[in-house]
Amino acid sequence: MKTLLAVTMKDLRLHVRDARFLATLALFSASLVLILSVAFGPIFNDPAREASATLWAALFFAGVLGLTRALDLESESGGGDALRLTGADPYALFLGKTLANLILISADFLLILPLVSIFFDVGNLVVLPGVLGVAALALVGYAAWGTLFAALAKGLRARELLLSVVLFPSLVPLWIGAVKMTNALWGDGSIDPVRDWIKVLAVMDVLGLALAAFLYELIQEATE
Amino acid sequence: MILRAEGIQKRFDTRVVLRDAAIEIGPGSITLLLGTNGSGKTTLCNILATLLSADRGAVTLDGEPVARKRSAARRAIGFASHRPLLYLGLTPLENLSFFGGLAGVASPERRAMELLERLGMAPFARAPVERFSRGMLQRIVLARALLTDPKILLLDEPYTGLDESGVAVVNEVLRDARERGTGSLVITHEPERVRPLATRVLRMQGGRVEEAA
Repeated sequence: MKTLLAVTMKDLRLHVRDARFLATLALFSASLVLILSVAFGPIFNDPAREASATLWAALFFAGVLGLTRALDLESESGGGDALRLTGADPYALFLGKTLANLILISADFLLILPLVSIFFDVGNLVVLPGVLGVAALALVGYAAWGTLFAALAKGLRARELLLSVVLFPSLVPLWIGAVKMTNALWGDGSIDPVRDWIKVLAVMDVLGLALAAFLYELIQEATE
Repeated sequence: MILRAEGIQKRFDTRVVLRDAAIEIGPGSITLLLGTNGSGKTTLCNILATLLSADRGAVTLDGEPVARKRSAARRAIGFASHRPLLYLGLTPLENLSFFGGLAGVASPERRAMELLERLGMAPFARAPVERFSRGMLQRIVLARALLTDPKILLLDEPYTGLDESGVAVVNEVLRDARERGTGSLVITHEPERVRPLATRVLRMQGGRVEEAA
């Protein structure tokens, strides 16, 4: 737990000190929401559906930006190798990085959510806890799988491209579930018709965290 | 503690960098490793530090393969590379406390300050590392290598960017390590700086380690 929290705090500290990165992330996310709202509007056919798709598409691409930055922090001056040299438990290192990524993407979600609500005129306080619950489920899986894939992309020249190309199809069930449940909440005010997707998202979360327990050390130690 | 590498082979794509390389770093020794650029010194050092795996051959610490007790080996080996192996957005104190905590150092912040004072970097303990000159960075790199009070010290180009006082600090660290029974390997293109301290001088040639003339 000490290792996990130390790694999380270190990553967040580095993110917070990099104002340019945080500004880029925020502007990128907001721009995506704006562009998609203009593309779908001004008269929306199915605002709940279009808003859900916009929310999760923006989060995916902004998340890739965050994951790539987290990866850069480890590789730009060999910090990742120094982490390995401490002899700390690799899974605790993974969980620490996953938690930092989760917090970063969640902060981005909290920025995007009101923008989507305003631009598409969807959502209300009654369904807000449900939307936050869906986000929590989806973002844990995204952070876990994203951290694992980011470690795989380490050292590759076109890692941003690889991360997007490999990560998105791998997480298709997660995106579909998140979009469907958000759509149901914003459209019908209830998650009941698509409740089964909760299980899919939970399985994706557990699978991502469990796979990393076996693979993260192997990936970290795989060298040229 | 004895760190030994035998029959080490390593290739990158088609280029063979190490062929049957062997080296031993024993307690209280200071081994100087020389060689031209691209001769494989850094590759061998990275393999000894457990950062890189060999295609063939064995690296052992006190007779046990390091791959079998990687975590303990990493805490017993202090490695200062020519890459900083630090987070540039953190201060020296934050970097050293963070790495020390992860490596199981009892009071990481106290140990970090102790090392920064010893290496003449205490006044800069809370300044961001990214603003440091090469020489200042080099001292922090050395401090990170010493965090766990290692039994084996691997220094790859430790004199790069250092002024005379910095060179004296590195040599003092090596002298102290020798007295405490720590075995050291020093890779450098400035052998005259460390030759008086060295107990053995080796040279990398054709991917092998040979006794220097």
